[in-house]
Parts: sequence; structure tokens; C-alpha cells
Amino acid sequence: RLSLVGTPKRNIQLSNIVEEVLFNGNSSLAESNRTNTPRRSRKINSTYDEDFICDEPKTPKRQKTSTSTPSSKSSAMTPTQKMKLIRSGAISAAIESRDNPLKRRKSDFEVARERLHVSAVPQSLPCREQEFDNIYTFLEGKLQDQCGGCMYVSGVPGTGKTATVTGVIRALKRDAELDIVPEFDYIEINGMRLTEPRQAYVQIYKQLTGKTVSWEHAHALLEKRFTTPGPRRQTTILLVDELDILCNRRQDVVYSLLDWPTKSTARLVVVTIANTMDLPERMLMSKVTSRLGLTRLTFQPYSHKQLQEIVTARLSGSEAFKGDAVQLVARKVAAVSGDARRALDICRRATEIAEETTKDKTVSMMHVQKALNEMIATLKVQAIKKCSKLEKLFLQAVAAEVARTGIEETTFLGVYTQLESIAAFMGVTVPVLGRALQICSKLGAERLLICEHSRTDIFMKILLNVSSDDIYFALQLKNN
Amino acid sequence: MPLITRRAASSRHKTSTKDVLSEINGEIDDASTRNVNGTSKSINDEVINTENGLKTPKRNNKRASKLACNGHTDESDTETSSPPKQPKSDPALFSPSSLIRNLRIDDQPDKEERSKSPRKSSLSRYGNARKVLNGAETDDLPGREAEIQELRSFFLSHLESGTSGSLYVSGQPGTGKTACLTHILRSEEISSNFTKVYINCTGVSTVGSIYKKICTELRLKLDGKTEKDSLRAIEKYLSGKHKMLLMILDEVDQLAGRKQSILYTIFEWPAKPNSKLVLVSIANQLDLTDRTLTRLNAKCDLKPKLMHFSPYSREQLITIFKSRLEAAGVLNVFSPGTLQLLSAKVAAVSGDVRRALDIGRRVVELAEQQQKKPKSKVDLTELGIDGSPPKKQNQTTQGAVPMQLVVSVLNNVYGASQTLSNDIEDTFPLQQKILICCLLLILENDKNKDITIGRLHDVFKRVCSKRNLMAVDQAEFVGLCSLVETRGIVRVIGKKEPRLSKIVLQWDQGEVTAALKDKQLIAAILQDTLCLKR
Repeated sequence: RLSLVGTPKRNIQLSNIVEEVLFNGNSSLAESNRTNTPRRSRKINSTYDEDFICDEPKTPKRQKTSTSTPSSKSSAMTPTQKMKLIRSGAISAAIESRDNPLKRRKSDFEVARERLHVSAVPQSLPCREQEFDNIYTFLEGKLQDQCGGCMYVSGVPGTGKTATVTGVIRALKRDAELDIVPEFDYIEINGMRLTEPRQAYVQIYKQLTGKTVSWEHAHALLEKRFTTPGPRRQTTILLVDELDILCNRRQDVVYSLLDWPTKSTARLVVVTIANTMDLPERMLMSKVTSRLGLTRLTFQPYSHKQLQEIVTARLSGSEAFKGDAVQLVARKVAAVSGDARRALDICRRATEIAEETTKDKTVSMMHVQKALNEMIATLKVQAIKKCSKLEKLFLQAVAAEVARTGIEETTFLGVYTQLESIAAFMGVTVPVLGRALQICSKLGAERLLICEHSRTDIFMKILLNVSSDDIYFALQLKNN
Repeated sequence: MPLITRRAASSRHKTSTKDVLSEINGEIDDASTRNVNGTSKSINDEVINTENGLKTPKRNNKRASKLACNGHTDESDTETSSPPKQPKSDPALFSPSSLIRNLRIDDQPDKEERSKSPRKSSLSRYGNARKVLNGAETDDLPGREAEIQELRSFFLSHLESGTSGSLYVSGQPGTGKTACLTHILRSEEISSNFTKVYINCTGVSTVGSIYKKICTELRLKLDGKTEKDSLRAIEKYLSGKHKMLLMILDEVDQLAGRKQSILYTIFEWPAKPNSKLVLVSIANQLDLTDRTLTRLNAKCDLKPKLMHFSPYSREQLITIFKSRLEAAGVLNVFSPGTLQLLSAKVAAVSGDVRRALDIGRRVVELAEQQQKKPKSKVDLTELGIDGSPPKKQNQTTQGAVPMQLVVSVLNNVYGASQTLSNDIEDTFPLQQKILICCLLLILENDKNKDITIGRLHDVFKRVCSKRNLMAVDQAEFVGLCSLVETRGIVRVIGKKEPRLSKIVLQWDQGEVTAALKDKQLIAAILQDTLCLKR
């Protein structure tokens, strides 16, 4: 048949890209592991096209006939047609799946590692009950009242902001199914995932309807949706992650996102997440701050007890870790940042180290200490130690010149004079000027020095990028 | 009696629509079923709306069709069942342009629809208060009667004389500028006599595309696609014969470009002969017209009338709260003293009504939460995994909200550094505490107040090694600084070269020192000037 004879190019497409045409939106939904990346499939597709064209050029006439036959309509599409389907949301993106996952009994370490992975968000978040309660009450009240509002959630990275908010949304979804709270729509955008602040409109519209349109159009349609009354409209909860990325100079996107909830017709609840505590006062215009409101919540960094609880909750049932090992990790991390991700990462690394070194079945303090040393490493001292002899002398000269003048900024000429005297003292031949400049540029490339202006002459300004204590320590010299 | 009038009105409506209907497609069956008749009628209404540009708001339209349908039921047969569900409108009749045309600011939510919303939750008194205190637009604007009167008389005088005018409304955020204008626009005498254009200037993509937006609002036909074509179309419209035009530009300062040519063009429209345009521009700055539009002062007739919305005073805020709470019948949620305190504090700082309402709502929310707490301790595992619902509170005793809550909310809002001493106690990481101490140490004892991160790190390392703590290395230290920065305590200036970027204390030095002093370790660090030596 003609469709079988038709361009093999199409067949290659089909064999490589798993795709499924969705009838009426959700009747045959794809598997759960599919992600929304329509761009990607398009890109892969086009590369295959090009590859194939290079291999075996086809006459255009033949292609035309094959596409025009109705029998091969579903399989053969021009790129434009395909793009149209992607934009209208009729095709969902899929990635190729591997044959079948490995099935074998996992060791204790492996189970622990899996549980300790940052992406494995637990069902309930330990130590964030109060914040959970706070957000839940706020959102539940908004849903019951059927009015709009804003909330600002802040806190340093890794304190469980996004996990808590999505956990609240999950709880609310479940409650909506049980008919305790009204039904609602949930939309989520992340400032970091947008190439430009205005793409937020496109994303929001896409999550509402599944179609991809230009941002102007999306903005107009959203404006229409939120400013005209819709009697059967549900409340929409919009989660805006990384709010500070959306702030450009005009701040029009942030303004519209926060202005819609003030319309009585919109029924929009916006939850914004950012790191900075005083972002509204620092970066936003006063009219935007006024709309953001005062419902704010700050996530404090985890204390060492809380970190310990988090790790033990994840490891529940497994005997892979010793109690004091967990405590050491928790204390070290809580002293610096209170970042849960970091604690989990260190624990994972400790399991890896333990797995490859010991026959023992537990992770002890030693392994944790090793992992900590790896993570909080002082690389600069190592780098200085590994320098060549002349480079060491040069660094020493820079430190001496800084000590002599008392100013951090030195010129190459002064350093070279110091170098000459040090070299004479050590009994080394003094390198010629060109050689010394070469050494200097090498150290600058390593970022041990900062050569501020890259003119390579004797008036070049040089700054130390390490503290002089480090140099003395690494070269085993006495200070002063 | 009401039934008769209703019937009469409906029958009148019916005949008129029928006429138009027969004009349009000429084949409507009189004996068609009620259902079909109803749908065709609603479709019919849409047709009138889009064809003639008739300006009945959507709400009237819907109600009319419903009434017509009811009337029909009564006349045709005696069954008193509710009218069957009708499709709202035929989707085929919505062209994109008609959709955009339907975008109007005077659309207000349908009262009938709202009252029969599917879920009638039994709200507590706190819930009622919370609902009333939201920041959404309302019709009821106590404390702004004088301004509304002034605006109304301005519009009406121009309407009578048929002359064009220009008005610039300024005021701080949250003083009710937009609310007042929308309130006036809803009134019959103004909405029926003006062609209205409302544009929020934050929505335009580039400054020039404002013309295009005005064109779409005015439904003008365009010759081309460029800015100039749109501008020409608008100017042709203004010079031609038309109804009085009321143009409202919200957040007009967004249009300020480098040469201000667009602002000048827009502000010069009212001076054109026969333009019949009343231009209202809204912005926050008091003196936008004087500062950026100096050329307007040259000609007297171009000068816009200025109007300033002053921030709400304490008394006005109290009236707003009282009127809102009274409407919901929950006046005693706030005691008079609490109200006084809240509004006095807000009026002293900004006079922003949104802010005041926000604080009020927050206080009610917290009070509600506090009341709930002893009864149902929210168990997270239960919420996350099991299907059991969180327990409902019983609504027995809900008195006035305690005044301490107001004070604590206000402190959270207006006093940032006061929270430091609380945080210091429990969760503020140790290394960050030492970092702040080192900064204070340098600030107090060193001559050179220009502190780079490199210098701070040197001191930090010395302090740490003296106390047998493990000091973080430089890369980590820069991260530490940015963590402290997110709290707003310090600020890092110049991000290019981490070691050389400057670090500045943002909060009051004395306050931070006082907050840190009571800890032994920290006090010892603050005394230790030996670490400073280079």
C-alpha cells in the first residue's frame, strides 16, 4: 500500500517518539511519568528529520502524495501540522522509556540512599506543622469565603517552603474530594523556569486551558477571565515560586499577578514564595507592595534537633545509620545554614563512602566526618600547596607586599621587587620579568590572584584572592 | 401587581426581540417549543449586542432573557417549574473582537448568581468578619464622599457644556482612586452618556502599543498595523462626529518614556477642537504633570485639572471598618479601643486602606486559629495520609479579638529588627551569628568602615580559631553572607568579585548590638579587639 511505501522518514519519527493523540483532552491520558515538554519532542524530531534528509534525499513530489492520502493521515504530519497540534495541546509530550527497571533485592545502604534522596518528598513534613497549619487555615478560609487574596512566604533555601505549600495543596485537594472544602483549580509557575517574566502569562494560560499562545494574547485572555464575572467559576490557587525573578524594572507582571486577586470577580488566591524576607520593601514598588498585603510567613532555618528528626524520619526502620553520626551531620549543618537539602546530601555521601570502604553495615562517625571534609573542603590551601616553587614564591611576594604597604591593592612592580629579594634570600635564580608576568597570569587564571586590569605590564594591579593567613599556612611559614 | 408588570415588561421585550429576529433571519416559528424559543432569544440578544454595538451590560441582558422566559412559561402553560437550563450563549457568535469588546470595567457580579452559590457554608462570626474585611473593590466608599462629588460634578459639567477636559488624579497606593472612579462610572447618568474607555497602562507591552489598545477599546477600523496607523485612526475618530468620550488611563506613569512624546500626544487630545474627550489619568506621583510634562504649562487649555486623594485619616479608617463590620452584623468582633489602635497606627504610617484591612483580617484569622488550636491539634500525618477530615470547630463563644494580637501583627509589620532577638534564641545558625558579631566588631573598633567580604572573612577566621570553632572557607563564607542578606540584616554591594564586594549593615547598629549582647559567647566576641589586627 501507498502508506507503507510512503516516506520512511515518517516511520522513523514514529518509532523514535512515543506520542499519543488525546481525544477530548483527558479521555486517554498518558502515563503518569510523562512530563510536559513539548519543545523537546519537537527538537528531537527535527534532528531526526535532518539526519534522514542527509542520508537519503527524497523527491518532494512523493512526499506530497504520501501526506495527502487519508489512510496515512494520523501517522504522517508535516512539522507545521505537528507544531500546531503541540500548541493546541492535542499531543502530549513523552520520553522514551527504558525496557524494564532492574529488579533485585536492594541492600540496606541502597534503601537508605534512596530514602535520603532530596527528591523523595515524604508524605508528611516533620517540624513544619505550625507553618502547614498556618497556610492551610489561610487557604481554607479563602476557599470557604470564595474571595481572593495574597500570601507571601519567605525563608532561606532548603527550609521546606515549596514542599509545605504543595503539601497543603495536596491536603486541600483531598478535602475537596471529600466535599469539606469547595473545589478549586491549582496553577503553579516558577520564576526560574521562565525565560522572561512575561512568559508567566503563557504558562498560566497553558495550565488553565492546555493551549500555547503568545504572551500578549494570553494576557488579554487572562485579563478577560479574571475581570468579567463567571457565575460558575471555581476559586483558582496560583503558586508563584521564585517571585524575585519576576521583578523586572517595570514590574508589570508582578503588578498584574497581584492586582487580579483584588478584583471581586477573579476568585484568585496567589501564594508567592521567595528567599528574601524583606523583598516587598526592598525591590517592589509601593503600589505592588500595597497589593501584596501583609499576610506573610517566614520559614526559619532548621535547628540541629529538627534536622536530626528529619533525617531519622526518613531513615525510619533502617539500621544503616548510627545515631551519633546523624547528630554530627545535623549539628554541623545547623551551625552554618540550617539547610535540610545539605544535611541529606551529606548523609547520602556518607553512605556512599561507607559502602565502598567498610564491610560493616552501618555508617559511623568516621564516614560522616569524611563526607563533611569533602563537602566543606578548603580547596584553596590545597591549590597553593600544589603550586610550583616559583609560583609559591610569587604568592609569598604578593603577601609580603600587602603587609608592607598595608593596602590590599598592589602593583606588579612592587611585587617583583619583593620577589627579587625573597629569591635572593632563598638562593633561587630570579625569574626574568616576562617569566614573572607569565606566572602572574597563571595564578590569575586559577583565581588565586585577581589581576584587575588585564594589561600585562609592570603597572598591572594585583589583588590577593585568598587571605594571607592561608598562604602562610600552606607554605608552612610563620606569620610575621 | 409585580407579576403583571413583570409580564408586561417581558412581553414588551419579547416583541422587540422578535422583530429584530424576524429582520435577521425571518424564519422563527411562533409555535416552537419553549426551550428552543429561549435559546434563540438569548442568541438573539447576543446578535443585537454585537451587531449594533448596543451597550447593555451583560447582567441586564441575562436577567432580561430570564424574565422573558419566565413570562413565556406563565403564558403558555400553568406549570410553575423553573425554566430549563439554557446554554449561556452560542459559542459560534463570539468572535475574538466581540470578546474583547465585552471587556468592561462596569461589569459587576451578578447578585442573583452569587446568592445561590452552590455552597452555603455556615460561617462563624469570625468568618463573617474575615470575609467582610477583604481588599477587593466595593461600591461602598465611606470617607470619600467629597471626592466622589467633585468627580461627578466635573463629569457632569463637561457633559452639559459638551466641552472636553482633562483631569489628573494622584494619591498614594490604597487611597481609593480607582474605586471612586469605577463607582462613578457605574452610575446611570454617566455611563449612559459617555463612551467609556478604561485602560490599565501596566498591561501594555511597549509604550507605543497603547494606541492600539485604545483602538481596540474604541472598536476602530485600522488601515495598517503600525503605531502611526492606530494614532491616525484615533485622531480621525476624535475629529469626526461622535458621542462624548471618557477615557481613563490607570497607572499612567508607566507610559513615561525618554521623550514623553506619547504622554504629550495623549494629553493634547482634549485641546483639539471638537474632540469632546474627557481624559482622566491616574497615578501615584503628586506632581507627574509638573515634572515630566513641563510643556503643558505653556498653554492654559492643555493644563489638566489636578486632584489629590489624601491618605485616609484615623477617623476615616474607623468609619470604614465600622461600616463594613456593621453590614455583616459583627461589629463587636473589634472593640473600640482595638479599632482606634489599629487605625491610628496605619494612618500614622501610610493611610493605606488595603493595608489596614489586611491587618484587620490577619488579626481575625489569628484569633480564629488560636481558638481552634486547643480543640483540634492538626496532626500532619493524619492530614497527609489518612482520609479523615480535620475536625470542625464549634462556634460557641467568639468575643472580641484580643488587643495583644493587633499589637503583635503591627510589630511584625513595622518593626523588623525587633524580631531578631526572638530568632537569635532558637534557630539562627551559629556561624551567621558570629558573622554579624564580627561585622559589629569591625564597625565599632576599626577606623576603616569600608568592609569587604575578604576583610570580614579574615576577622571571622581569627575569631573562630580563637574559640576552637571550625571556620568555613571563603566560598562558603560568601554563601553565608547572602543567607544573612536574605534576612535583611546586611547588604552585599558589588557581586562581581566576591572577595572584594562590600558588606554594609542595614539595621541600626545599636539595636543589633543590644539584641546580641545578652549571650555570653557573643558578648565576649564583641569585646575582643585583638582579632582585628592585620
